[in-house]
Amino acid sequence: MVKEEWRLHQSMVGAIGSGLFPAMIFFFTAFLAYVSKFLLWNVKIQTILLFLHMASVFYGLFVGGFGEIGEHVMTRRLGQLNMLLQLPQLYPISFKEMMAIFFVKDTVYYVLYSFVPMVAGLMVVAPQVGVTYQGVATLGVTMFLTFLMGMGVSFLNSALSSWKKPFSWMFRVFIVGAILMYKPLGVLSLDYLIPPLGYWTTRNLHFLSATYMLSIILTTLALMVTKEKYETREESYADALGDTSEQFGFMGELSTIVAKEWLELSRSGTLKPIVFGFIGHLVALYLGVWIFESGLGLPINFNVVFYSGFIGFMGITTYSWLTNLEHNEYLNVQPVNVVQVIKAKLSLYFILTTGLSALYVVIIALIRNEVAFIAPALVVSLSTTTYIAAVTTYLTGIWTNTMFFDARVLLKFSVMVVPPLTLLEILSFYNGHPFVPAAFYEVIVSFFLVACSVFLFRRLDKWRNTPFSFVYNK
Amino acid sequence: MAIIEAKNVHKSFGKTKVLNNVTLSIEEGEFYGLFGPNGAGKTTLLRIMTGQLEPDSGDVITSGVSISDPIEVKSRIGIVPEAETPPTFLTAYETLELTCRLRHLDNYHEKIEYWIDFFDIQDKRDVLCRDLSKGQRQKVMLAAAFIHEPRVLFLDEPFINLDPIFQRRVREYLLSMLGEDRTIFMSTHILEIAGRLCTRIGVLHKGELIEQGTLDQLRTAENENLEDVFLRVIEGGMTLNV
Repeated sequence: MVKEEWRLHQSMVGAIGSGLFPAMIFFFTAFLAYVSKFLLWNVKIQTILLFLHMASVFYGLFVGGFGEIGEHVMTRRLGQLNMLLQLPQLYPISFKEMMAIFFVKDTVYYVLYSFVPMVAGLMVVAPQVGVTYQGVATLGVTMFLTFLMGMGVSFLNSALSSWKKPFSWMFRVFIVGAILMYKPLGVLSLDYLIPPLGYWTTRNLHFLSATYMLSIILTTLALMVTKEKYETREESYADALGDTSEQFGFMGELSTIVAKEWLELSRSGTLKPIVFGFIGHLVALYLGVWIFESGLGLPINFNVVFYSGFIGFMGITTYSWLTNLEHNEYLNVQPVNVVQVIKAKLSLYFILTTGLSALYVVIIALIRNEVAFIAPALVVSLSTTTYIAAVTTYLTGIWTNTMFFDARVLLKFSVMVVPPLTLLEILSFYNGHPFVPAAFYEVIVSFFLVACSVFLFRRLDKWRNTPFSFVYNK
Repeated sequence: MAIIEAKNVHKSFGKTKVLNNVTLSIEEGEFYGLFGPNGAGKTTLLRIMTGQLEPDSGDVITSGVSISDPIEVKSRIGIVPEAETPPTFLTAYETLELTCRLRHLDNYHEKIEYWIDFFDIQDKRDVLCRDLSKGQRQKVMLAAAFIHEPRVLFLDEPFINLDPIFQRRVREYLLSMLGEDRTIFMSTHILEIAGRLCTRIGVLHKGELIEQGTLDQLRTAENENLEDVFLRVIEGGMTLNV
């Protein structure tokens, strides 16, 4: 299975791109760790640890949706792609056993693919930043355990969702409840919410063994509720393609493809997670800052323009969801090219994100009493949303999730996105400054981003002759 | 007049050479059958001839258009691909409707009804393609390739997953196409059906077109059928004059 995963990544992004990914993590970690002694000299070590472990939780949550993967594989949503997970259909092995092996495989794979190079990167610069090798190794262990816990939560949530949806919602309410018990209720310590942080606070090894046990319990529960058979119910719908195409008639030639995408979006049950995911990220950003400000007592004066700069970045998840609905192999035999499908997905992306982004900006401005900054904030949110979409589609086409595993693509994305966003975020700190016309500069940068977006959109033609199934059939 | 013309087509996947200098010409009104063992390169050649895949070198003119313009090629032909993969979240009816709309057909509802009746999938017309059986999905793929009545049809294992009743129905439809001087290119392993349909055959082996001609031209004995010819050519590796 590890070989399958490696070859799958290779088939998606090539041997060099796939092999460069851990190398990139190694160098990126070493670089960040090295510059952190200059950039984060006045940030408390507890804050840095919190950031690192929260990142590990999210990484685990991202990787661990095995219940969903299993359902996709068993209900033939991956087109011509066949995986070892399908073995229970042919051989005397249960799906639970296969999922257990799959879990172990993914753990091993992601440890080798990302944790080992990350720890190695930290080790290289450890003496320069004044950290012991033992400290780095311990950090690797605590972050790995946090990652396992995140995987377990995500696995159980997805398995419950496939088994009985109400239980999945109950589980989510339980998780949100636990977070609320930490903040704002203050009855649960952060050390118990993310136990490996408890180890760093107390040096008590019980926190680590508890995390390990917790991840085993979560995984065992997930395996217990994993279904043996994913019998697809026969779902029927009255013809809606024609009417939906007419509703999108303003899209002209693209209306039929946009209608197809819209029907796939709504019938696959992906619309809700996309909308709530986008809003959720934006709310999480605001709450995260609020927790730091009120909980840790760190003064962080981010204004509404700062938040609007992040909106575009959050949009990546929306676009990647849109590219994950359907394999589109059918379109290989129709007079349609990938560029038309990219444009259809972009149309939906803007329909889904533009209104929500504007609403978010207005609400944050009202909450923070920053009505004067609404205009530049709206310009910044619109331009970053557009620019991120342009860069993402130019670099990844309709295979965003898989192409980002190519280190070369990820590097190009970082180079194209990080500097202008950083510039906008820095400028946001000067909004209201008596001598710096920050809003003027923000609008100039925004226009520059829109111009770059037009430039990139015009170059989407590079995908014109690419087969829809190219990710698996290169 | 040649309606499909492939010249010196080469294609490799990594280090594996899949097609080696394939040259092929098919006249209008022909029913051309392409045969070969597994991995011979048949599907790759079909995908190249239909504009789904770019060759490393060489060119193909299909229906008067170079495959360097794949959209135009696909708009003029019908294709039944190797795998039956209609859109997951559209119904059988909507899949045919999507095809008609993408091909700018007018008054297509009647055509859709006709093909739904032809393949006897009335009771599944509103079911998501994801939830159809393999055979039902293959019927949707065939209907989608036939619905715009293309002058040239490319079929990759079209009879797979079809029961004998519908194998026969499709066979009869294909023969009726020939009566209208339309052209069919088919790749299949079902030699019994192919022997009854094809006016000319080609044998692809290890990426090279090692033999082509009518069945009569390829026979060395009067009682030889297509299967005998195929096995002799592949196993013997001998070359016959076309």
